[in-house]
Amino acid sequence: MSLRDKYAIVGIGQSQIGEVPGSSSLGLLAEAMKNAIQDAGLNKGEVDGLVSRGPDDIYCHHQRMGEVLGLNVNYSTSLDNGGASQALGVILACLAMDAGLCHTVVCGYGRNAWSRTRQAAESRKGSLQQHAGAEEQLPREFGPEFGYFGAVATHAFGAQRHMHLYGTTKEQMGAVAVSFRKHARRTPWAQMKKPLTMEDYRQGRLIIEPFNVYDCSLRTDAAGAVVVTSAERARSLKQPPVYISGFGSHNNLRGWFFDDHMVNTAARASGQTAFRMAGMSPGDVDTAQLYDCFTYMVIAELEDYGFCPKGEGGPFVASGALDLEGVLPTNTAGGQLSEGHVEGMLQILEAVRQLRQKEPPGRQVPKAEVALVSGHGGNAVCHTTLILRR
Amino acid sequence: MAYNKPLPVPSAESKPFWEGCRRHELLVQRCRACGKHWLPPSALCPECLSTEWEWTRASGKGKVFSFVVYHRLYHPGFKDELPYAVALIELEEGPRMLSNVAGDVKAVKCDMPVEVFFEDATEEVSLPKFRAASSGRP
Ligand SMILES: [Zn+2]
Repeated sequence: MSLRDKYAIVGIGQSQIGEVPGSSSLGLLAEAMKNAIQDAGLNKGEVDGLVSRGPDDIYCHHQRMGEVLGLNVNYSTSLDNGGASQALGVILACLAMDAGLCHTVVCGYGRNAWSRTRQAAESRKGSLQQHAGAEEQLPREFGPEFGYFGAVATHAFGAQRHMHLYGTTKEQMGAVAVSFRKHARRTPWAQMKKPLTMEDYRQGRLIIEPFNVYDCSLRTDAAGAVVVTSAERARSLKQPPVYISGFGSHNNLRGWFFDDHMVNTAARASGQTAFRMAGMSPGDVDTAQLYDCFTYMVIAELEDYGFCPKGEGGPFVASGALDLEGVLPTNTAGGQLSEGHVEGMLQILEAVRQLRQKEPPGRQVPKAEVALVSGHGGNAVCHTTLILRR
Repeated sequence: MAYNKPLPVPSAESKPFWEGCRRHELLVQRCRACGKHWLPPSALCPECLSTEWEWTRASGKGKVFSFVVYHRLYHPGFKDELPYAVALIELEEGPRMLSNVAGDVKAVKCDMPVEVFFEDATEEVSLPKFRAASSGRP
């Protein structure tokens, strides 16, 4: 039996976002989870499931979180799908509840990427907009000996190939960064408030071509969390329920460098599963909250989800489609490029906010009934999708 | 001057590949059951899961599937190389591998034909690198 609309997100919470000197990922996530439980109008004793993730060096992360929050639960686990984990946590919550393992699950992710980088002895001259680097888990052959390090280059390979095949331009990637910065400037908690024009983008310092500094997501200290429960239970809680209409996942485990995965990403199959479950199509989506580790990923995902044909993502974003007034307002709090990089967690929170329709004018997507959320990561091949509705 | 870039740390599976490089031979794995070639090295054929496979010498010809140009330093050993190109090379036999394309980074293009050469990094380690294929050769 379909799980369409059977479960709902009933609480959201976030921690401080940005540069939080001395912060710990567990501390930030505890703050976010506490806020999410309060937002739902629940006591922590009413939570009987926990799904979490933090920096990958914390062993058995969910146990540490439960200890911090003083919780024993029926169901808990921590995830290992990189940036696809956060939406996957919501999916697993639904599956566990449907199996009768638990009835109310808190899911969240926290990181202290900015503080960690700052602490690291080799910390470079502190540009904020520099995802990746020393903290990447490094392979020990077939990469570093050729000067290949980390996620920036991985995605830059995809961008280069996309430019080659479809004539996608640097300016089109820039349009993604410029649109998201406009959103961030209207979002009180966003990390980047400085205006960003196309001219600023053109002047951006090259990091790994074709990416410059504005193509890369931020280093952020922050956490986000949501509470998921049954639709039935949701209707008696404090917040208007945001129903989980569809979800999907797909993982191109043979790798980003295999076949055409770097231009036809796992978002396609993940999205098809989610749309089928929801009984919807891309035209039904009022706002997208996409995993934007790099500008290029937004272009690829828009195509793979079917918001435009393959190869036309560049012109699509350059048309202003992602702006608040555009045909598909996207990453309306600024995304990982400008709001803060919490590996897809803040995308889920922003989708819920938009669907509650209580954001101030200038932030609220008009008539936001349906939102699509994506998660992407795990060496760039794991993908998850949520389709939410009010 | 001592070599100051990272050196490959071979796994049990990749050891023969690096031994081949030392002899200036580019090796790939080839499945005896289904005929497919593959890299990176692994214990069984990723197509048909056969364990009946062999190391075979690749032609060393291929093309650039995609590439990136590093402008930022991630490792001190590459200080004098910036900007440098890292490319995903698709070998004639099918497998893809990361490497460098020597020469002017501005000349590197997707789908450009390339050929392997070997750079002796240390007494023990040689790295397979690529350059634009010499054209018009008989
Ligand atoms: Zn085989």
